[in-house]
Amino acid sequence: MGWISPLEPDNRHHTVRTSRFDGVGDWLLETRELQEWRDGGADQAVLFCSGDPGVGKTHLR
Amino acid sequence: MSLTGRNSSSLVIDRLCDQTKEEDLAVAWSYCDYSIQQEQTVVNIMGAIVKQLVGRDGIPKDIREAFREAKKVGGRPLLVDLMRMLRIAIARLPQVFICIDALDECLPKDIPKLLESLRDIVRESPTTKIFLTGRPHVGDAIHRYFTKAVTIPISPNEGDIRNYVETRLDNDEVPEAMDNRLRAEIVRIIVDKMSNMYVGVSPLSKMYLLTIA
Repeated sequence: MGWISPLEPDNRHHTVRTSRFDGVGDWLLETRELQEWRDGGADQAVLFCSGDPGVGKTHLR
Repeated sequence: MSLTGRNSSSLVIDRLCDQTKEEDLAVAWSYCDYSIQQEQTVVNIMGAIVKQLVGRDGIPKDIREAFREAKKVGGRPLLVDLMRMLRIAIARLPQVFICIDALDECLPKDIPKLLESLRDIVRESPTTKIFLTGRPHVGDAIHRYFTKAVTIPISPNEGDIRNYVETRLDNDEVPEAMDNRLRAEIVRIIVDKMSNMYVGVSPLSKMYLLTIA
Protein backbone atom coordinates (compact mmCIF):
# COMPACT_ATOMS: atom_id res chain seq x y z
CA MET A 1 0.00 0.00 0.00
CA GLY A 2 3.03 2.26 0.37
CA TRP A 3 2.95 2.61 -3.38
CA ILE A 4 -0.35 4.47 -3.19
CA SER A 5 0.94 7.05 -0.73
CA PRO A 6 3.94 7.45 1.58
CA LEU A 7 1.77 9.33 4.10
CA GLU A 8 0.79 7.42 7.24
CA PRO A 9 -2.37 9.05 8.55
CA ASP A 10 -2.88 6.45 11.29
CA ASN A 11 0.51 7.20 12.80
CA ARG A 12 -0.11 10.93 12.65
CA HIS A 13 -3.48 10.55 14.30
CA HIS A 14 -1.97 8.47 17.06
CA THR A 15 0.68 11.13 17.74
CA VAL A 16 -1.85 13.95 17.79
CA ARG A 17 -4.35 12.17 20.01
CA THR A 18 -1.74 11.13 22.57
CA SER A 19 -0.57 14.75 22.94
CA ARG A 20 -4.16 15.98 23.16
CA PHE A 21 -5.29 17.87 26.21
CA ASP A 22 -8.32 16.20 27.72
CA GLY A 23 -11.41 18.29 27.55
CA VAL A 24 -9.96 20.97 25.27
CA GLY A 25 -12.31 21.50 22.34
CA ASP A 26 -14.98 19.08 23.59
CA TRP A 27 -17.59 21.81 23.15
CA LEU A 28 -17.13 21.46 19.39
CA LEU A 29 -18.64 17.98 19.39
CA GLU A 30 -21.82 19.33 20.92
CA THR A 31 -22.37 22.20 18.50
CA ARG A 32 -25.48 22.22 16.35
CA GLU A 33 -23.30 22.86 13.27
CA LEU A 34 -21.29 19.68 13.80
CA GLN A 35 -24.34 17.55 14.46
CA GLU A 36 -26.17 18.95 11.43
CA TRP A 37 -23.15 18.33 9.26
CA ARG A 38 -22.88 14.76 10.48
CA ASP A 39 -26.56 13.89 10.16
CA GLY A 40 -27.67 16.30 7.45
CA GLY A 41 -28.20 15.85 3.74
CA ALA A 42 -26.00 16.47 0.73
CA ASP A 43 -26.37 20.24 0.91
CA GLN A 44 -24.37 20.20 4.18
CA ALA A 45 -21.44 18.25 2.85
CA VAL A 46 -18.65 20.47 4.15
CA LEU A 47 -17.78 21.77 7.61
CA PHE A 48 -14.83 24.11 8.08
CA CYS A 49 -13.31 24.79 11.50
CA SER A 50 -11.49 28.05 11.18
CA GLY A 51 -8.87 29.04 13.73
CA ASP A 52 -5.90 31.31 14.20
CA PRO A 53 -2.52 29.73 14.75
CA GLY A 54 -1.61 28.90 18.33
CA VAL A 55 1.72 27.59 19.47
CA GLY A 56 3.29 24.76 17.60
CA LYS A 57 2.57 21.30 18.89
CA THR A 58 6.16 20.95 20.11
CA HIS A 59 5.43 23.54 22.81
CA LEU A 60 2.63 21.44 24.15
CA ARG A 61 4.52 18.38 25.22
CA MET B 1 -2.63 24.58 13.27
CA SER B 2 -3.32 25.58 16.83
CA LEU B 3 -3.73 23.58 19.97
CA THR B 4 -7.46 23.68 19.48
CA GLY B 5 -7.26 23.10 15.74
CA ARG B 6 -5.43 19.80 15.92
CA ASN B 7 -7.48 18.90 18.94
CA SER B 8 -10.63 19.56 16.93
CA SER B 9 -9.62 17.28 14.09
CA SER B 10 -8.50 14.44 16.31
CA LEU B 11 -11.66 14.74 18.44
CA VAL B 12 -13.94 14.67 15.41
CA ILE B 13 -12.01 11.75 13.90
CA ASP B 14 -12.22 9.81 17.18
CA ARG B 15 -15.93 10.55 17.57
CA LEU B 16 -16.64 9.37 14.01
CA CYS B 17 -14.45 6.28 14.47
CA ASP B 18 -16.42 5.43 17.63
CA GLN B 19 -19.60 5.59 15.59
CA THR B 20 -18.26 3.10 13.05
CA LYS B 21 -18.85 0.42 15.71
CA GLU B 22 -22.60 0.99 15.66
CA GLU B 23 -23.20 2.52 12.27
CA ASP B 24 -22.07 1.59 8.82
CA LEU B 25 -19.73 4.39 7.98
CA ALA B 26 -16.07 4.82 7.14
CA VAL B 27 -13.64 7.55 8.15
CA ALA B 28 -10.46 8.64 6.36
CA TRP B 29 -8.21 11.55 7.15
CA SER B 30 -4.99 13.40 6.51
CA TYR B 31 -3.08 15.78 8.81
CA CYS B 32 -1.24 18.41 6.81
CA ASP B 33 1.97 19.85 8.18
CA TYR B 34 4.41 22.54 7.03
CA SER B 35 7.33 20.28 7.81
CA ILE B 36 6.32 17.70 5.20
CA GLN B 37 4.96 20.03 2.52
CA GLN B 38 6.94 18.43 -0.28
CA GLU B 39 5.61 15.01 0.58
CA GLN B 40 1.98 15.97 1.10
CA THR B 41 1.08 16.55 -2.52
CA VAL B 42 -2.51 16.24 -3.67
CA VAL B 43 -1.65 12.82 -5.08
CA ASN B 44 -0.25 11.63 -1.76
CA ILE B 45 -3.12 13.05 0.29
CA MET B 46 -5.73 11.46 -1.95
CA GLY B 47 -3.62 8.29 -1.93
CA ALA B 48 -3.69 8.28 1.86
CA ILE B 49 -7.49 8.59 1.77
CA VAL B 50 -7.70 5.67 -0.69
CA LYS B 51 -5.41 3.57 1.51
CA GLN B 52 -7.66 4.01 4.51
CA LEU B 53 -10.88 3.30 2.65
CA VAL B 54 -9.76 0.22 0.75
CA GLY B 55 -7.69 -1.26 3.55
CA ARG B 56 -10.64 -2.10 5.76
CA ASP B 57 -11.59 -5.56 4.52
CA GLY B 58 -8.85 -6.38 2.09
CA ILE B 59 -8.68 -4.90 -1.36
CA PRO B 60 -11.73 -5.58 -3.55
CA LYS B 61 -11.13 -7.09 -6.98
CA ASP B 62 -12.12 -4.07 -9.06
CA ILE B 63 -9.80 -1.83 -7.06
CA ARG B 64 -6.98 -4.37 -7.40
CA GLU B 65 -7.46 -4.17 -11.14
CA ALA B 66 -7.41 -0.40 -11.08
CA PHE B 67 -4.12 -0.65 -9.13
CA ARG B 68 -2.65 -3.05 -11.60
CA GLU B 69 -3.55 -0.88 -14.57
CA ALA B 70 -2.10 2.18 -12.92
CA LYS B 71 1.08 0.34 -12.01
CA LYS B 72 1.49 -0.93 -15.56
CA VAL B 73 1.99 2.63 -16.75
CA GLY B 74 4.86 2.74 -14.27
CA GLY B 75 6.12 5.10 -11.60
CA ARG B 76 3.86 6.78 -9.11
CA PRO B 77 0.08 6.66 -9.32
CA LEU B 78 -1.56 9.60 -11.05
CA LEU B 79 -4.37 11.63 -9.52
CA VAL B 80 -6.73 10.24 -12.13
CA ASP B 81 -5.92 6.65 -11.03
CA LEU B 82 -6.47 7.50 -7.39
CA MET B 83 -9.75 9.25 -8.10
CA ARG B 84 -10.91 6.15 -9.95
CA MET B 85 -9.95 3.92 -7.01
CA LEU B 86 -11.59 6.33 -4.61
CA ARG B 87 -14.84 6.31 -6.60
CA ILE B 88 -14.89 2.51 -6.54
CA ALA B 89 -14.09 2.42 -2.81
CA ILE B 90 -16.72 5.01 -1.88
CA ALA B 91 -19.39 3.31 -3.98
CA ARG B 92 -18.94 0.17 -1.87
CA LEU B 93 -19.42 2.01 1.42
CA PRO B 94 -22.70 3.35 2.80
CA GLN B 95 -21.25 6.64 4.03
CA VAL B 96 -17.77 8.12 4.01
CA PHE B 97 -16.32 10.96 6.12
CA ILE B 98 -13.11 12.59 4.93
CA CYS B 99 -11.20 14.87 7.36
CA ILE B 100 -8.34 17.12 6.27
CA ASP B 101 -6.55 18.90 9.11
CA ALA B 102 -4.68 22.19 8.59
CA LEU B 103 -5.47 22.68 4.93
CA ASP B 104 -3.47 25.92 5.02
CA GLU B 105 -0.29 23.94 5.71
CA CYS B 106 -0.37 22.46 2.22
CA LEU B 107 1.64 24.21 -0.49
CA PRO B 108 -0.55 27.07 -1.77
CA LYS B 109 -0.51 25.60 -5.27
CA ASP B 110 -1.91 22.30 -3.99
CA ILE B 111 -4.91 23.75 -2.14
CA PRO B 112 -7.16 24.47 -5.16
CA LYS B 113 -6.44 21.06 -6.69
CA LEU B 114 -7.17 19.28 -3.41
CA LEU B 115 -10.45 21.18 -2.97
CA GLU B 116 -11.39 20.46 -6.58
CA SER B 117 -10.77 16.73 -6.04
CA LEU B 118 -12.89 16.74 -2.89
CA ARG B 119 -15.65 18.61 -4.71
CA ASP B 120 -15.63 16.02 -7.50
CA ILE B 121 -16.08 13.27 -4.91
CA VAL B 122 -18.96 15.03 -3.17
CA ARG B 123 -20.67 15.67 -6.51
CA GLU B 124 -20.50 12.04 -7.47
CA SER B 125 -21.22 10.68 -4.06
CA PRO B 126 -23.59 13.06 -2.27
CA THR B 127 -23.55 11.10 1.00
CA THR B 128 -19.82 11.82 1.48
CA LYS B 129 -19.03 14.43 4.14
CA ILE B 130 -15.91 16.58 4.35
CA PHE B 131 -14.42 18.04 7.54
CA LEU B 132 -11.71 20.68 7.12
CA THR B 133 -9.66 22.75 9.53
CA GLY B 134 -7.33 25.63 8.78
CA ARG B 135 -6.46 29.23 9.42
CA PRO B 136 -9.28 31.62 8.52
CA HIS B 137 -7.71 32.73 5.24
CA VAL B 138 -8.28 29.36 3.54
CA GLY B 139 -12.01 29.91 4.11
CA ASP B 140 -12.17 31.93 0.86
CA ALA B 141 -10.76 29.08 -1.18
CA ILE B 142 -13.06 26.58 0.52
CA HIS B 143 -16.10 28.71 -0.27
CA ARG B 144 -15.07 29.01 -3.90
CA TYR B 145 -15.40 25.24 -4.22
CA PHE B 146 -18.14 24.65 -1.65
CA THR B 147 -20.45 27.64 -1.58
CA LYS B 148 -22.58 26.07 1.16
CA ALA B 149 -19.72 25.12 3.48
CA VAL B 150 -20.54 25.89 7.11
CA THR B 151 -17.80 27.58 9.15
CA ILE B 152 -17.24 27.17 12.89
CA PRO B 153 -14.76 29.67 14.34
CA ILE B 154 -12.45 27.98 16.83
CA SER B 155 -10.64 29.70 19.66
CA PRO B 156 -9.98 28.37 23.12
CA ASN B 157 -12.84 29.28 25.45
CA GLU B 158 -12.48 29.78 29.18
CA GLY B 159 -13.06 26.10 29.90
CA ASP B 160 -10.38 25.11 27.39
CA ILE B 161 -7.85 27.50 28.94
CA ARG B 162 -8.70 26.23 32.43
CA ASN B 163 -8.27 22.63 31.30
CA TYR B 164 -4.95 23.42 29.72
CA VAL B 165 -3.56 25.23 32.77
CA GLU B 166 -4.78 22.49 35.12
CA THR B 167 -3.11 19.83 32.99
CA ARG B 168 0.16 21.73 32.98
CA LEU B 169 0.00 22.11 36.77
CA ASP B 170 -0.74 18.39 37.17
CA ASN B 171 2.50 17.70 35.30
CA ASP B 172 4.52 20.13 37.38
CA GLU B 173 7.98 18.76 38.08
CA VAL B 174 8.12 20.22 41.59
CA PRO B 175 4.67 19.43 42.98
CA GLU B 176 5.78 19.87 46.61
CA ALA B 177 6.19 23.60 45.94
CA MET B 178 2.45 23.82 45.30
CA ASP B 179 -0.49 23.82 47.67
CA ASN B 180 -4.18 24.01 46.82
CA ARG B 181 -4.45 27.71 47.49
CA LEU B 182 -1.49 28.62 45.31
CA ARG B 183 -2.79 26.31 42.62
CA ALA B 184 -6.26 27.89 42.66
CA GLU B 185 -4.70 31.34 42.55
CA ILE B 186 -2.52 30.46 39.54
CA VAL B 187 -5.48 29.04 37.65
CA ARG B 188 -7.69 32.02 38.51
CA ILE B 189 -5.15 34.63 37.41
CA ILE B 190 -4.11 32.95 34.18
CA VAL B 191 -7.66 32.16 33.10
CA ASP B 192 -8.70 35.71 33.94
CA LYS B 193 -5.81 37.33 32.07
CA MET B 194 -6.08 35.06 29.07
CA SER B 195 -9.83 35.45 28.75
CA ASN B 196 -9.38 39.23 28.76
CA MET B 197 -6.68 39.01 26.14
CA TYR B 198 -8.99 37.05 23.89
CA VAL B 199 -11.58 39.77 24.18
CA GLY B 200 -9.02 42.50 23.50
CA VAL B 201 -7.43 40.62 20.74
CA SER B 202 -4.78 41.10 18.18
CA PRO B 203 -4.08 37.95 16.19
CA LEU B 204 -0.47 38.14 17.35
CA SER B 205 -1.39 38.14 21.04
CA LYS B 206 -3.39 34.99 20.45
CA MET B 207 -0.30 33.27 19.14
CA TYR B 208 1.54 33.67 22.41
CA LEU B 209 -1.28 32.99 24.81
CA LEU B 210 -0.73 29.32 25.22
CA THR B 211 3.02 29.71 25.52
CA ILE B 212 2.51 31.95 28.54
CA ALA B 213 0.55 29.18 30.25
